[in-house]
Amino acid sequence: MSSHGNSSTANDPRQPSAAKPFVQQSVAPQDLPVDYSGFIAVMFGVAGVMFRYKLCSWVAIIFCAQSLANMRNFETDLKQVSMAMMFAVMGLVTNYLGPRPPKTT
Amino acid sequence: DGEDDDESLIHNTLPLRSSPLTQSDPDPEPTPDPTSQDPDANQYSEPPSRPSSSSDLPKPSSTSFEYWDEDEFEGLPVEQPPLETPKIPENATPDDPSSDPKTAPKPIAATSPKSYTVEIVCGSFLIVFAINYFTGKRENENIALAWAVKFASKDSIFDKNFSLLGVGDGDDSPLLLKEGQNVFKFHASGRRYCQGLLATMELKSRHDLISRMYNLVVPCSDEISFEVYMNDDAMDHLVFAVAKKKAAKWMQKEIRDLQRFANMVSPPSGRKWVAEELAVISESKEVAGDLITEVVLEQVFGEKAFEKFGKGFISIHFSDQQPGTHKKMLLFKFALPDANSMADMTRLVALVPYYIDLVGRYRLSTQARSKTEITRMKIAQEAHREEQNARQEALQRKKAERKKLLEEAESKLGAEAIKRKEAKERARQMKKSMPRVKMTRAH
Repeated sequence: MSSHGNSSTANDPRQPSAAKPFVQQSVAPQDLPVDYSGFIAVMFGVAGVMFRYKLCSWVAIIFCAQSLANMRNFETDLKQVSMAMMFAVMGLVTNYLGPRPPKTT
Repeated sequence: DGEDDDESLIHNTLPLRSSPLTQSDPDPEPTPDPTSQDPDANQYSEPPSRPSSSSDLPKPSSTSFEYWDEDEFEGLPVEQPPLETPKIPENATPDDPSSDPKTAPKPIAATSPKSYTVEIVCGSFLIVFAINYFTGKRENENIALAWAVKFASKDSIFDKNFSLLGVGDGDDSPLLLKEGQNVFKFHASGRRYCQGLLATMELKSRHDLISRMYNLVVPCSDEISFEVYMNDDAMDHLVFAVAKKKAAKWMQKEIRDLQRFANMVSPPSGRKWVAEELAVISESKEVAGDLITEVVLEQVFGEKAFEKFGKGFISIHFSDQQPGTHKKMLLFKFALPDANSMADMTRLVALVPYYIDLVGRYRLSTQARSKTEITRMKIAQEAHREEQNARQEALQRKKAERKKLLEEAESKLGAEAIKRKEAKERARQMKKSMPRVKMTRAH
C-alpha cells in the first residue's frame, strides 16, 4: 500500500537533498519529569537518620536504587540521588554502628 | 549492603565475647566524642575467656555512656552480670531490634531474640531488583531492536521511504537513541513533503521492579508514536484525527487545536466508513471524507480490516495548528506488539508514508479553504487579544507592586526623614526648572 514500486526513480519518495540530521532539542531542566523516587528516598533517608528506624534507611536505599535505575540525564538526577544515598547510608551507619541513643523514655 | 558488612566486621564493638578478631581490632574510628564510649573499654568484660586488653576499669559515672545493651543480655545462661557494673536503665529501644549485620560473626545471635527480618527482606529485595534491572533492560532493548530490524533496516519500509535513517549524521549512524532504559528514539529524514520523522518508543519500564509491580495494578502498554514534521508548503489548513470512540472524546476535549477547530464527524451515509469502534474528528466533513480514502478503509480502517490489522492502532492526529515550535505535524500513535510479532503492525506503519503523500498532495477546495481561513483569522485575533490583556495585567501588577514598595519605604522612614526627602525633592524640581547651561570640556 505504501508507495509501491519505488524502484522506478520517477516516484521514488526519497529526497537525499532534503535530509536533515537529527538534532536533539534540549529540554529545559525544570520541565523534566520529576524524579519522585529520589524525593521519596530523601524523605525516608532523613526519617531514618532522625528517628533511627532501620526500616526507613533500608527503604531509602531501595528507592535510591529505583531512581538510579530510572535516571535519564545525569547532571540533575545525580545530585538528588547522591543526596538521598548519603542520607540512607548515614542512617544505616548510625543505626548499626553508632553509639546507642540515650533512650528518652 | 556489602560495604556495611565489612565495616562492621572490623568494627565489631560487641563487648561480650571478643573473638580473636577483636583482640587486635584496630579502632579505625577516633572517637573524639566524649559520650561515645571507646569500644574497647567495655565494662562488661567476661573475665575467664577474654584477657581484658583495655586497662580502664568500669567507670562508675553514669553519665559516661557504656556501650552495653541490656537487651542483648536477656536470658544469658552463662554469665552472671557482675554487680559493680552500673545498671543502665534502658538503652536499646525495644522496638528497634538492634542487631548485627547478618553476615558478621554474631557472638550472641543464638541467645538473643534478634530478628534480622528487616535486613533479609530489604537485602533480598535489592538483589532481586538488581537482577530484574538487567533482565528488564535487555528485554526492552530486544523489543526496540526487533522493531528497528523489521522497519528500519536495509530495504525495509523506512529505508524505501527515507534517505537518511538513524540518529547520527553519517550513513552508518546508530539507528536508535536510548533515553533512559525504556525510551528509544528513531529519526528518519530526506523525503518529499516532509522535513523528517521522529519515532519515540515508550516501553513499559521493565527494568524497574517497583514500577513493574505498580503496572500490575495500573496496566500500561508499550507505545510508539511517530511525529512527522511536514514542510510548510506541503500541508494545507487541516485539522483531523481518528481514534477509538472513548479516546476521541478525550482528545476532542483536551487537545487545544482539536477543541478549537474541529468537532466529531458523524459517519456519512452512502459510502463506506471507518470501523464501528472508531471516531473521526475533523474541521469539515469534506476533509474527513477526502482523507478516509478507499485504500485506507480497505487496508486498515474498514470493518473487517480493523479487526485483523487494527488492534495496535491508538490514534492519528494531523494538524497545521500544533502547539510548539513546529506547526504542521502528523502524529501517529500505535501500540507495540511483543518482540517476535512485529509483523502485525506492518500495515499500521505503512499508514505513515501513505498519509505523508496523501496530505502532501491534498489541497482544500476554494470554499472550504475560505471557511478555514475565517476560523483561523478569528482564532488568531482571539489569541492576540488574550496576549494583549495578559501583558496589560502584568504591567498593572508591576505598577501596583512598585507603588506598594514606595509606600512601605515611606512608612519605614521616620517623620524627619520624610521632611528631608521632600526638601531634596523640591530642590531637584527647582534645579530642573533652572535654565540649562551647556558646558563643554576643553579638548
